[in-house]
Amino acid sequence: MIALKATDLTKVYKHSRRPALDGLNLEIEGGQIFTLLGRNGAGKTTFLRIASTQLMPTSGSVTVLGLDAVKQAKELRERIAITPQEAETIYPLTARDHVMLSLRMRGMDKPTAVKRTAQAIEALELGEVADMNTDWLSGGLKQRVIVAMAIATDAEMIFLDEPSIGLDPLNRRRVWEQLTRLKQEGRTIVLTTHYMDEAEALSDRLVIISRGKLVAQGTPQSVKASFTNRSARVDVYSRFAEKELEPYGRVVEIAGRFRVLTDADGAKNLGEDAVARGASIAIGPVSLDDVFVDIVGEAEKGEEEYGDPE
Amino acid sequence: MATRNRLRSLWAIMYYLGFTPMVRNPLFIPFVFSQPFTLLFILFVASGGVALPYGLAGALTMVTTELGLFVGTDLASYKIQNKFQDVVVASPVSPLTYMFGVALSELIFGAPALLVLFGLMASQGATLSAIITAMGVVILLWITTTAIGFFFSAYAPNTQNAFIINGFIATILSVLPPVYYSIKLLPPILVPLAEILPTTQASALFQGVIGLGYSINPDLSFGVLLAASVILLLLVSFKMRWREN
Repeated sequence: MIALKATDLTKVYKHSRRPALDGLNLEIEGGQIFTLLGRNGAGKTTFLRIASTQLMPTSGSVTVLGLDAVKQAKELRERIAITPQEAETIYPLTARDHVMLSLRMRGMDKPTAVKRTAQAIEALELGEVADMNTDWLSGGLKQRVIVAMAIATDAEMIFLDEPSIGLDPLNRRRVWEQLTRLKQEGRTIVLTTHYMDEAEALSDRLVIISRGKLVAQGTPQSVKASFTNRSARVDVYSRFAEKELEPYGRVVEIAGRFRVLTDADGAKNLGEDAVARGASIAIGPVSLDDVFVDIVGEAEKGEEEYGDPE
Repeated sequence: MATRNRLRSLWAIMYYLGFTPMVRNPLFIPFVFSQPFTLLFILFVASGGVALPYGLAGALTMVTTELGLFVGTDLASYKIQNKFQDVVVASPVSPLTYMFGVALSELIFGAPALLVLFGLMASQGATLSAIITAMGVVILLWITTTAIGFFFSAYAPNTQNAFIINGFIATILSVLPPVYYSIKLLPPILVPLAEILPTTQASALFQGVIGLGYSINPDLSFGVLLAASVILLLLVSFKMRWREN
């Protein structure tokens, strides 16, 4: 079942020189974890804000859970919840207060809200700090409180804008577990992230957006597989100039070394060349990170670089 | 959202954003309302106690004005800094419930300051009916200034601006006009200007119920306050930015 459908979705901000979303078309299956990837300013947050009834599109439409996000926003808001990007906790409320506020203001009765709050606090391991003023908590703990406010709800679709930002690897996994649990309950999760490992580990499907346009979509595996001509990456540590590597594939400079994205034959040939020169290299399969850099780099090649609000 | 759920929603916003901060941070209240009480104290000392009733009328007006305008700064913070308003927009909570909940939370937070002032009124011999009338004036002025605060918060680009704008409006509304003094002391050319302000009318009513006599016809004062609250509420409902463009 299609839980979200965007058709020719376009958003042009008043003072912007280009559209934040440029005729975006995408579909999200219900009961899945769907991830939006893209650079800063690519249009991910704009999409999330339109679909979650916070922002008006300039043109096009979004249907969420069978409801038009513009015309039937009131009905839709009963069934969705969000975690905004870079949200802050409210002074002087505790973690428990935040979750209780989120549930009670949605009209949940007190016993159910108390129970669900306790579950969310336990799930995100906030027990020890549950009754402390959130101003005293670290950034990572605060972020978990903000995430808990959304996952404790009974919303059918949850939008999370960079939910694991500022979290250490263990706590990121804690959030992943909860998102997976919500999916198992049949809920639909739509999230944005800059962490490719997160997208790879969590997503049933993902899209890559560049300059408000969709440039790749599929499962993490299929997006990587579509990258058939560059299935291998070779990290070159010495004895090669950039020009000498270009015949093997796409060359990216990373922290003083070169990464060559190539196919299996290219990797083999480059390996032989490196052995002959006595150069240090490392060969491996491409990661989603490599695919992202390549696809977005290709899509934005030659375009002017300037910032715009998401 | 069913009416029962709407009430739960309103209660939750009031409880967590008004009552909880008040209980956890009672010492914060004197800091927040230091200005009206300072002016009251200065007037009391400088006049040898004679001007205390004017000070009381002024402090009641200023505390109520600040309570309303603080709603604007709170809303700006919840929207810009905490992103809490984003969470609320994408939820079943209606804009009216949210605005009313935040406004009531501010009223609850400021209730101790108002109680002190009503207590001082009673100690000056104000009757129960006078205090009840004063409470009615407080509510009308609170609605008016809340609408002003909300209106400006909707257009504040950041929280610093919201604080500065609301501080400026508080001064324009409750320090410069005849709030801590009688309108009769103003040069005649400034009287019509002062009479437009809801705070002038509210203070004139407070001065009347405290026993200083009505410097403006009380029916006119009530009329201006009522009209201001209705007009500003309508303006806010038209201009309210819930879903952004």
